[in-house]
Parts: sequence; structure tokens; C-alpha cells
Amino acid sequence: MLGTLAGIACIVAQALIPAAIGVAIDDGIIDRDQTALLWWGAAILALGTVQALTGLLQDRCGLTASLGAAYRTLQLVTAQATRLGGTLRKKASTGEVVSVGVADITQLGATLETTGRFVGAVVVIVVVAGIMLATSWQLGVVVLVGVPVMVWAVGLLLRPLHGRQQHLREQQADLTTHAVDISSGLRVLRSIGGEAQFSRRYRQMSQRVRGAGVRVAGVEAALDSAKTLLPGLLLVTVVWLGAESVLAGRLSVGQLVAFYGYAVFLATPLRRVADGADQFTRGNVAAARVIRLLRIEPEHGSGTTPLPDGPAELVDPDAGLRVPPGRFLAVACATPSDAALLADRLGRHTGTAATFGGVPLRDAPLEQVRARILVATNEDRLFDGSLRAELDPADRSDGLHAMIEASSAQDIVEALPDGLDQPVVGAGQEFSGGQRQRLRLARALMTGPDVLVLVEPTSAVDAHTEARIAQRLSQARTGRTTVVFTTSPIMLNAADRIAVVVGGRVVTEGTHQGLRGDARYRRIVAREDEA
Amino acid sequence: MKTDDTVHTLPVASAREVRAQARRIAARHRGPLFCAVALHALAAASGLVTPRLLGGLIGEVSRGTADVTRAVVLILVFVVAQAVILAAAVYASARLGETVLAELREEFVDNVLTLPLATVERAGTGDLVNRTTRDVDMLSRAVRQAVPDTLFAGTTIVLTVGALILVDPLLALPCLVAVPVLWAATRWYLRRARDGYLRQSASYARITDGLTDTAEGARTVEALRIAHRRTARADADITESYQAERYTLYLRSVFLPICDVAYVLPVAATLVLGGVFYLNGLVTLAAVATATLYVQQVIVPVDVLLYWMNELQIGGASLARTLGVRGATPARASLPSPDTGDGRVELDAVSFAYREGHDVLCDVTLRVEPGERIAVVGPSGAGKSTLGRLVAGIEPPTTGTVTIDGVALADLAVDDLRRRVALVTQEHYVFAGTLRENLVMARPSATDDDLEKVLKALDAWDWVAEHGLDTAVGAGGAALSPAQAQQLALARLALADPQVVVLDEATSLLAPRAARHVERSLAAVLEGRTVIAIAHRLHTAHDADRIVVLEDGRIVESGSHDELVRAEGAYAALWRSWHG
Repeated sequence: MLGTLAGIACIVAQALIPAAIGVAIDDGIIDRDQTALLWWGAAILALGTVQALTGLLQDRCGLTASLGAAYRTLQLVTAQATRLGGTLRKKASTGEVVSVGVADITQLGATLETTGRFVGAVVVIVVVAGIMLATSWQLGVVVLVGVPVMVWAVGLLLRPLHGRQQHLREQQADLTTHAVDISSGLRVLRSIGGEAQFSRRYRQMSQRVRGAGVRVAGVEAALDSAKTLLPGLLLVTVVWLGAESVLAGRLSVGQLVAFYGYAVFLATPLRRVADGADQFTRGNVAAARVIRLLRIEPEHGSGTTPLPDGPAELVDPDAGLRVPPGRFLAVACATPSDAALLADRLGRHTGTAATFGGVPLRDAPLEQVRARILVATNEDRLFDGSLRAELDPADRSDGLHAMIEASSAQDIVEALPDGLDQPVVGAGQEFSGGQRQRLRLARALMTGPDVLVLVEPTSAVDAHTEARIAQRLSQARTGRTTVVFTTSPIMLNAADRIAVVVGGRVVTEGTHQGLRGDARYRRIVAREDEA
Repeated sequence: MKTDDTVHTLPVASAREVRAQARRIAARHRGPLFCAVALHALAAASGLVTPRLLGGLIGEVSRGTADVTRAVVLILVFVVAQAVILAAAVYASARLGETVLAELREEFVDNVLTLPLATVERAGTGDLVNRTTRDVDMLSRAVRQAVPDTLFAGTTIVLTVGALILVDPLLALPCLVAVPVLWAATRWYLRRARDGYLRQSASYARITDGLTDTAEGARTVEALRIAHRRTARADADITESYQAERYTLYLRSVFLPICDVAYVLPVAATLVLGGVFYLNGLVTLAAVATATLYVQQVIVPVDVLLYWMNELQIGGASLARTLGVRGATPARASLPSPDTGDGRVELDAVSFAYREGHDVLCDVTLRVEPGERIAVVGPSGAGKSTLGRLVAGIEPPTTGTVTIDGVALADLAVDDLRRRVALVTQEHYVFAGTLRENLVMARPSATDDDLEKVLKALDAWDWVAEHGLDTAVGAGGAALSPAQAQQLALARLALADPQVVVLDEATSLLAPRAARHVERSLAAVLEGRTVIAIAHRLHTAHDADRIVVLEDGRIVESGSHDELVRAEGAYAALWRSWHG
């Protein structure tokens, strides 16, 4: 509100300056009154100062309003993303969420900020129109009709410009994509070759962008020219009619100068009104996108039956899989998609009939299921932040070194200049695939759930390290339930028991030694002698 | 970065180099540059005639003796002239700008393409991608808008002041009052603005990163129950962004009101002082009116000039970063190299450290005969990948020598090195383009038959044929699975066909059985080539002619599979746990 008032005051002060100049010329210079000249000079300065200060106030209020809206929306979007959890990726892409959280909130802020300017512009147009019509209605009408026509004509010219600019932006985006492609794949390019080919293609695209840029410049040149010509023509008309009026004694010299000033000035508030209308439309679109995101509901509701305390058997009736409490069970699935689906069912990340101690997971409070059962996959993300905080999601702090040891990840930490205090950036892209996998394992172990379900936790780790992990994993999880989905013989060999899943059902169970004779098992487990 | 420990960033060009480059560009485009400046000057000059004519007209009208029509027609002529010349000026400077911009970015990409291997490997892609996108964009903005606008504004200001002096030197005096104010305020502002706005945009980048993390890892957030951390992160980002915004607001709160007042000050001063001069008979009424109009008119270009100052600074910084890439370029002496031999690799007492005192490899001596296939196994962090990088000539050894056919790799030019040795890692990359383009980059002369042969050998022909070689893949094209991308990488390698091949877990993304089959096919394709495979799965080792076991940067065992199993050492123990 204050911002709107300030906006009005600012632009009105600006509007009064030409009038003050006119009066200064009339009363001070032409009437040869030095005192009046000084007073009006001071008035111009005062108007300038008012304009500066109210402009500042408007900026401050506008920014506060705009940031307030933007930040609040960002908080809501973040809260919604964490509330939706696994549902989010199924209902909205990351790009969508980020564009809502960044672009749309900025737009909302900008729309709010525009409100003050919009109202101010409308007020000032009325004020200026009043002044002009009162001074000389003929000239007033010329300016009041001429300026909107001029703004409209310029707007008309803007349209082809926008079209070509859009084309240029698209080509520019393609060019950037190509350059990013080169940068990202540079290791391959430099070691295998193809630089000349990529350089040639980049040059071709770059030259096309240059051509598009020059074509935009053509329209821009015409537009800039029109922006000079149209107000120029209006000014010529005002000067012509005005000078005749002065000669006829209907208008003073100072008023002529003031009219000249208004013809220049009025274009600004008119453009603001047009901008304002545009901003409101965009603000609406942005708000609609934010609301769509906030309306998504999580796919799993929460139940009320509490899960039994202490260790209990986890059962998936659809697959016929029984997970004995406190043991290390390995599950060898014939296809990776079977493994992913079964793991999700055990942790209620999808529709499930699984039970824990006889209580169906879907009837239990979701929060309790998440607290007791952790499903850790290779798609899990490493978040930005210090490695220490990242590896310890439950803020336990003790036992961290033991869990890093169990995941055979101590060499990763040791190689970092700041050790555990090293910041993780860009989802841990700085680490190799195998390193990320071991860090994720340490994090899962550190969370320490009653039931830990791991999906292919060592697929990117070398055989030496895998052997070490397999051995330490069962020690780290002694007395608690661990389910590992894997096809690696080293891992399978370390499990207390193995369930073999073919076609989504458990077909046989046993130990690594005991199952060696089973053809179905041998087919799943890539072993030396069959390959 | 694997075992690398420090984050290396690419260099940034110094202010002197940036200025030198600007001078070179100006010299190279002397003609068009002169033309653009001259046109802008002409346009600005014709814009200055109108106030003068108007001032004269006001003088005459006030005396009641004016030829209004003549004055109006003259004004009209100059308005049209200014509009026409301006169009030509804008077009000329934009044309020049686009040409310079194209040169700059093409040069940048060419420099990127000649970066030394070690720099690329160590600097990571983040910094480079940032320079490719952000800095090139910033530079475009500066060249497209800031440079021509400041050019025009500068010319207009100079000419207006000149015109003011022509009208009456006395009347030029009042507008000088604004100069020290504006100069001091701008100086104060620019010193702080750059950092302030950089901090502000960095805070928004953090918001984007944080939200990307939250959205991308939403399931992980739910599974690990760390929603409170994500909201805390968002709150912290908001606080930081708010502080950054507050700071730039403070800068504007000081700077903008001073500017606004400083703009009105000369108008009032000219009017009052001019009026006093007129009343004392020192100047004419026409001159006062003209001067007042000039001073009002010059506000716009001054504002434009100040507005773009900041942008020009940012553009300069971006130019420094894009030019900096060139600073990293010259590395390899291109000695005349002897012909390629048959691929004998020799490492003699090689040690290597990324950081002084932390040897990753110690005193490694290894001879690999032409056509021999070696598997390197060992626990993570044993130095396997580093060994691969040394053999591939990416890093020079700290002490000792690495040679292929007796030639020290550090001395070879990249093209030459590539004919001798190539490294394929598990990090695969699919370029945006057709499947064919993704392959022939390794051998531009390859025919479709060649591609088919290689792809068939790697079990990749079925899916490639299904898509067709002309299918667009990579960013914006069809998505390939990691395993397919890896097959492409291996196909590229087979097409490049170097004397020595280093495979660093190059098949780790394929399913175990498929991996083994592909490795065997690859061996057939690479028949007669020396292969050093860093093994992830033990069957790779089993199939090799010789196995080297690396532990803590030293070779602890070496021999054929059977020899090592008989020796009952580390390898034998591992083999048994695998074999079950």
C-alpha cells in the first residue's frame, strides 16, 4: 500500500517537472522576475528530490512485497516436495518443480511489484491530461491522442521483433547445447578424437546464430528508428501548433516548453500501463502452475494400526517372500525390474500387500513404516552439504567411522583434503560411480533401521572391495534384519540365506553352497564356468 | 576426480590480456568499427539540431516575429534524418557485434578443444560448462546491448556538451555541477555493485541447486526421513538471498536518489543561472531555452551509460574467463615423432603423486609385450586408475619413465599420442547427434560397413539397426541406456584402433554375462593390440594373458591366472570367494 502511494507520488513529481520549467520560463525569464525564477528553480529541484526519495521508497516496498511472496512460495514448494516424497517424480518432473520454485516465484514477485507502478502510471496520465486540457484543450487533445497512437505503433513493430528474437534465442540455445556437449564430453573427445568435426559443426551453428542475430538487428534498427521518428513527428506537430498559438496569444512560451516536455514524458506511464497488463497475465499463469503443484496429493495414505515393537517377520505374500527377523537374507532375482519392484513393496514405496509382524504395511502409519524399514537403492541421491552430515541423516554422530569402515569407504574420505568436512556438490558427481555407491551404503547403515533393504549395493565396486564389504556388512548388521537384492556370488556367499526369484515369485531357497547345483540359480548368478 | 584431491579450476585471463584482446579485435575490424562510430555520431548530431531550432523559434515567438513554417519544416527534416541515420548506425554496430561475438565464441570452443588432457581430467567439467554457458551468455549480452548502447550514449553526451558550448560557453557551466556528484556516486556504487550482484545471483543459484536436490531426491528424502533438513536448507538459502537483496537494495538506495537529484540539478541550474545571465543581458532567450532542452535531453544517455557500466564490468569478467581457457592450452611440445611401432609398453621405476608426499604409485616397473593382454586387479584406492592414466599419457610420472615403443608419452602431440594409445573409462558420454556421428568421430573415414562390423562384434548391431544409424541420440534425442552408451564408447575405441588400449572398468555398466561376452568380442576386434584392462570383475582377469595385482600403489603379484591361483596369494583368496 505504502509502495503504491510512493509510486504515485514519484511519478506525479516527475510529471510536474515540465510544468514547473514552463512556469519558470514564463514568470521568471520572460517576465524578468529574478525572485520568481529562483523560487521556481528551487521548486524543480524539490520535485526532483521528492521523485528520488519516493522512487526509493517504492523500490523498497516493491522489493519487500515481491521477496515476501517469492520466499513464501519457495517454502511451500519445498515443503510440498518433501511431503510428496517418492510420489513427486511420478507426478511432476524435476524441471517443472524447479521452474515453479525459481522462475514462477520470481514472476509472482514481479507482478506484485508492478502493481504500484501500474496504479501510479494510471494516476499520472489522468493528472497530466488534466493539466494539459486546462492549459490548452486543442494541444492537449493532440498530445493525448498522439502519444497512445505512437505507443501502439511501436508495440505493433515489436511483434515481428519478438518473433525473430525468439528464433534467435532458440538457435542460441542450440548452440549452447552443442558447446555444453563438447565441454561435457571433452574427456572422450580428447582421448578418442573428433575435435575437428565438432569444431566445424560449432562454427556452422555459430555462423547461423550470427545470421539470425543480424536479422534481428535489422528489425531492431527499424524499431529504434521508429522510436525516434514517431515521437519526433508528434513533437513537430506540438511545436507547430504551439508556436502558432503563442503567436496568436493563446499560449505562453513557458507553456509551449511544458507541452514539449509532456509529449516526451507521457510515453513512459503509457508503456507502464501496457507492461502492467502483461505482467498480470503472466502472474496469473505462474500462480496457476504453483497451485497445480501444491494440489498434488501423496499416493500412499497413512494408516493407524501400529507396527509391533521389536524384530518381526516381514512377508511379501505376492512373491511368497518371507524375511526372517534379525538375519541377513539375499534375494537373487532373474531380472533387475523384479528386484526393484519387490524392494519397493517391502518398503511400501508402491502399492503392497506386505506385512510386518502380521500387520499390513498399508494399514500402519507411514511415518512408522519409514522409521522401521529403509529401502536404499542406487538411484538414491547424495545431497549437497558436508560429507559428515550427508552420511549421518539421523544426526547420530557416533558409529560413523565404523559404518564408513563397514562400507569400505575410508579411502574415499581419506583422499579428501577436508576429510568428512568436505562439501558434497552436484549430487556427488565428483565421486566415481563406485565411490558414490559405497557412500550411499555407509549412509544407509548409519541410519540404522530395524529392516534394511539394499538393492544391488555393490554393482559398481571392484571384486576386492566387494568381498570386504560383504564380510563387514553382516557384522555391522548383527541381530538386525538385512535384505540384499544382488546377483553377485561374493555378496550371495556372505548371506545367511538366499531366496531365488524367477517371474516375480520365490522359486527356491537355500545357501550359496546349497544352491550351486540349481540351474535356475546358476543362470541368474554370473559365474565363471557358465559365461 | 577419484584419487585426485584438490579442485583445480581453469585459469582466468588478466586485465592486461583482456585489454590486449580488445585492442586486437578493434584493430581487426577497424573499418566497420569506424563506420559504426561515425554513424552513431551523425545520428546524435542530427538529434541535437532540434532543440537548437526549437530554442531559436521560442526566442523569435517571444518577440512575436517568427517564421514558424520554416522552423517546423527544418525540424522535421532533421527528425527524419536522425531516424534514418540511427537505423543505419544500429544495424552497423549490431552486425559488427555479431561478428565479433561469433569470433570470440568460436575461438573459445577451439581453445576448449585443445585443452591438455590432464587439465580436462583434473578441472572437472563443472567450471568448463559454466564458462561455456554463463560466461558466453553474459558476453553476448554485453556485446549485443551494453557495448552499442554505451557507444551511442557516450557519443551523444560528448556531442551534446559540444553543442552546449557552441550555443554559449557560459551556459555549459551550470551542467558541470552534476559531474563531480555523478562521478563520485558512480565510483562508490561500481566498487560495490559487482560483488553485491554476484552474491545475489549466487544466492539464487543456491536456491535452484537446493530445490533441484529436493525434487530430484524426493524419494530419498522420504526414505531417510530428512524433510526437516531440506526445509532448513531452503530457509537458509532464503536468508542468504534476502541478505544479498538487502545489500543491493542499500546500494541502490544510496546511488539512485543521488543520480535522480543529480539529473535534475543541471536542469534547474541551467534554467536559473541562464535566466540570470539573460536578465543581465549576457545571453539570449533562445540560448537559454536551447540549453535547458539540451540538459534535459542529455539525462537519457547519461542514465543509459551508468546503467550499462555494471553490465560492462560483468561482460569484462566473462571475457576474462573465456580467454582464460586459452591460457591453459600450450602444454605439449610437438616433437617430430617416430613412426608407431607394435605397441610395447614399458614402465620403469614409476612413482606418481597428485599431492607431494602422497604417492599413489611407488616404484612400479612393468613390461607389456606387443599384443599382450594384461589385467590389473586390486582393491579400490590401490592406484589402478592412476596406472591407466599414466599409460594413456594423460599424466606424466613424478619419477621414472613410461614409454610406448621406446617413446616417452609426455613428449607426444595429442594426435600422435592417440594413434598409439587410448583410454576408455566407465564414464561414458553420448554426444547430441546421430548414432553415426557418435561413432565416426573416432575415425572420420569409416564407412557404414565398418560401423556394422564393429557394432556386430560388440553385440550392439541389433539395437543400433533397430534405431537406424541416423537416429538422433544424446541431449534432445533418443535416450540410450548406460549399457548401450558403453557399447558406443567401446565401438569408438575399436574404430580408433590405437596400438595400445587401456580399459578402466569399461564394461562395468553391462550385465555381468553381457560384459564378459563383449570383452571377448572386443578382444577379437582388437586382435594384435596391446590391452591393459583394469578389472572390476574377476572373469576379465581370468581371460587375460597376465594378471597384475596392485595393492597400495605397488605390484604385489603378477602372473597368469593359473600361476596366481597356485601361488595361494591375495588373488587366489579372492578367486575362491568369487568362485564359491
